[in-house]
Amino acid sequence: MEPRVVTGLGICSAIGIGREAFFRALESPVLLRDKAIQPVESFDASKYEGAAVAEVHDFDPAKYLGDKGLRTLDRLTKLLVVATRIGAMDAGLKKDNVFVPPASPDRVGVVCSNAYGSLEAITELDRVAKLEDARYINPAKFPNTVANSASGYASIWEEMRALNVAVSDGNCGALDAVACADVHFASGRADALLVGGAEAASEALFVAFHRLGMLEAGAALGEGAALLALERKEFAEKRGARALAEVVGFGTAFEAPESDTQMIYASTEAMTRAIHSCLEDAAMKPSEIDLVASGLSGLKPFDTVELAAIRRVLGEDACIAMPKALVGETLGAGGAMAMACALGWLQGIAPATIIADNAPAKVKTVLVTTMGYYGNASAVILRAS
Amino acid sequence: MRRVYITGVGVVSSIGLGRRAFFDALAKGQSGITPVESFDPTPLGRLNAGEVKEFRAKDHLTQAELRRGIGRCSAMSLGALRMALADAGIEGDAVSGPRTSVVVGTTMGEADVIADLDSQWISGGHRAMRKAMLPKYGSTLLPIHLARAVGAQGMVLTMPAACAAGNYAIGFATDMIRTGRADVVIAGAAEILQELQFSGFVRLAAMAPQRCQPFDLNRQGLILGEGAGLMVLESEEHAARRGANVQAEVGGYGLTCDGYHITRPHPEAEGSIAAMRAAIEYSGITPDMVDFVNAHGTGTRANDQAEAKAMRDIFGDRRVPISSVKSMIGHCMGAASALEAISCVMTLETGVYPPTIAFETPDPECDVDVVKNVARAGKADVVLNNSAAFGGYNAVACFAKPGVLPHPSQIKRAAA
Repeated sequence: MEPRVVTGLGICSAIGIGREAFFRALESPVLLRDKAIQPVESFDASKYEGAAVAEVHDFDPAKYLGDKGLRTLDRLTKLLVVATRIGAMDAGLKKDNVFVPPASPDRVGVVCSNAYGSLEAITELDRVAKLEDARYINPAKFPNTVANSASGYASIWEEMRALNVAVSDGNCGALDAVACADVHFASGRADALLVGGAEAASEALFVAFHRLGMLEAGAALGEGAALLALERKEFAEKRGARALAEVVGFGTAFEAPESDTQMIYASTEAMTRAIHSCLEDAAMKPSEIDLVASGLSGLKPFDTVELAAIRRVLGEDACIAMPKALVGETLGAGGAMAMACALGWLQGIAPATIIADNAPAKVKTVLVTTMGYYGNASAVILRAS
Repeated sequence: MRRVYITGVGVVSSIGLGRRAFFDALAKGQSGITPVESFDPTPLGRLNAGEVKEFRAKDHLTQAELRRGIGRCSAMSLGALRMALADAGIEGDAVSGPRTSVVVGTTMGEADVIADLDSQWISGGHRAMRKAMLPKYGSTLLPIHLARAVGAQGMVLTMPAACAAGNYAIGFATDMIRTGRADVVIAGAAEILQELQFSGFVRLAAMAPQRCQPFDLNRQGLILGEGAGLMVLESEEHAARRGANVQAEVGGYGLTCDGYHITRPHPEAEGSIAAMRAAIEYSGITPDMVDFVNAHGTGTRANDQAEAKAMRDIFGDRRVPISSVKSMIGHCMGAASALEAISCVMTLETGVYPPTIAFETPDPECDVDVVKNVARAGKADVVLNNSAAFGGYNAVACFAKPGVLPHPSQIKRAAA
């Protein structure tokens, strides 16, 4: 793909809100497993003993958005709208929340991944319908049951009207969003796009992970929103924007499991192919990758497969980081959280969460990998600009 | 930049399975709107929807797929996929491999699975939720099941773009092929009728009591529907190589976001005007080449009047025929614009504009040439498919007879 410039980062994560706070946390990284468990804020977790979620603690959307109009927005929407706002400002596309020419509302858009975002609203309305009466469900909350609602609100609040695309591909969605953005740049539909993913903690999501034994197996459920401000190179240059990095390649692959009835599947072959096709898209050799921001989450069957694929393509001594050890498993936002870490490392912050003691002295290229639960895998390459 | 052709389509709808049954019924003005049977809607004071009654999963799914425990939305998608493959003359693993992708739109995906899980949770606590069902929820799953059925090994993407999801998926799939990221893409959308959405639209005071009357002065709102519509899209080279029968070409498409209100369209239709204009420009044509417009036409006043404004803005005094099949199959939400895209393909093939039924009294605020009650024959070289959705989404796609549009590599746009 043609290199696309990253000019800003909008992020609400368990380790910080805003690029500066996030980078500060990356500079003195503390693994989730070394942190004291904080009480869950996003839902009543009292009936789940020892429940831990890597939440965006003390999240106060009013601080960023003012206190009007927030009442019917769900947690996912608030996380995403805040990330969109601070991302556009960080990129200098906006100042004091007003577009700075040549950036304009009709040429700036949003491409956002989310995997299970509408669960909070669906389960809340189902509860009202089943325990009380369907006639009492709150119509103002009904739009939140639709998976693109949070993304749509980002355009409404932030006046980004060029296009608004919601994508969903489980853990791979936020990287797939990069491919979507790329085709829209290629066809000239936008000058700048806020690209990434968002996922909110909810009781429904926690319960699903809990029931499936994924938390006990080692995954730490997280949440957050992370969006990279991506721009066409000419546009970034024209407006004299500061470049944090460039996105230079994308690859994705799917493999079906042998058994026709199996659903959950970790595929070495899919991950391998996704990395190969990403390298090809970037016209790069495996030896040119300095660091991998992987999707390792603590779920052993998936981690083993992902590691095997990365090492198969990049070699046994590949340097591999696991951003999820810092921010938790954020699903639809996962690839974007990893890209956010990659930006910090490309900016000169010493890479952390490396699984072996082989961090390079300087990081100029990062391969970001994600694995879905159903045989899907995606990859993106970021390069220092 | 390559041309993108439609070489096969598959339909699961309330008025028929397969493209011929579907379009014959549309052309005859048959309504699929009937009393809902899958749940009891009476407490909500509304009874009707375009519910799919003749689809039986066991007639279309393999034994393994049935044993996989697939939600109804995926099941209908698989039905539509198999029809599309047969229509395209694709057998076995003819298009399997990394160069084939699947892009599917939906609003809620496996909504019946989440509804069942929620019931279990609400009545018996979280320990009552059936563990085996948990991995079967998630809109992510639709393209996964389809990719497994066709042997696709490229991208497997869901585009949850609510009621414009079909056009979003077809548009992105087209871009993937044009820019060389895929040779074949299975694209379309699916949605099932579910109690929660039904209740939600009733609570939004958007649902008509009995029928859907787009552009009619006395319209009373929308009627929900369900279904699945899928297409086989191929690059011109791929289609030629296998000697495929080309049904239509996907032209350009326009995407915009109103950024105005989560459920209401912009009153001046700014977003939909820009999306229609972009669809025309990206096809390399001028508005005078458009022969027919398949309306989003939900039968709500806000939509119909905004859409009529957009028509006047784009076409000026030329009254381009417009029609809404939602009068017959209801608003199939995520599936709507995919089913309607297939109706567009059939219009190109037959030269028949499907009617807007239940049309009685023109709305003076909708100064457009509605195809009233009876199908109309007319020129059909280029058609537009309008759609809009929650979130302020607008997506308009252009479809044309093969050979009518300029080659994509020769299209110059002001924006690009």
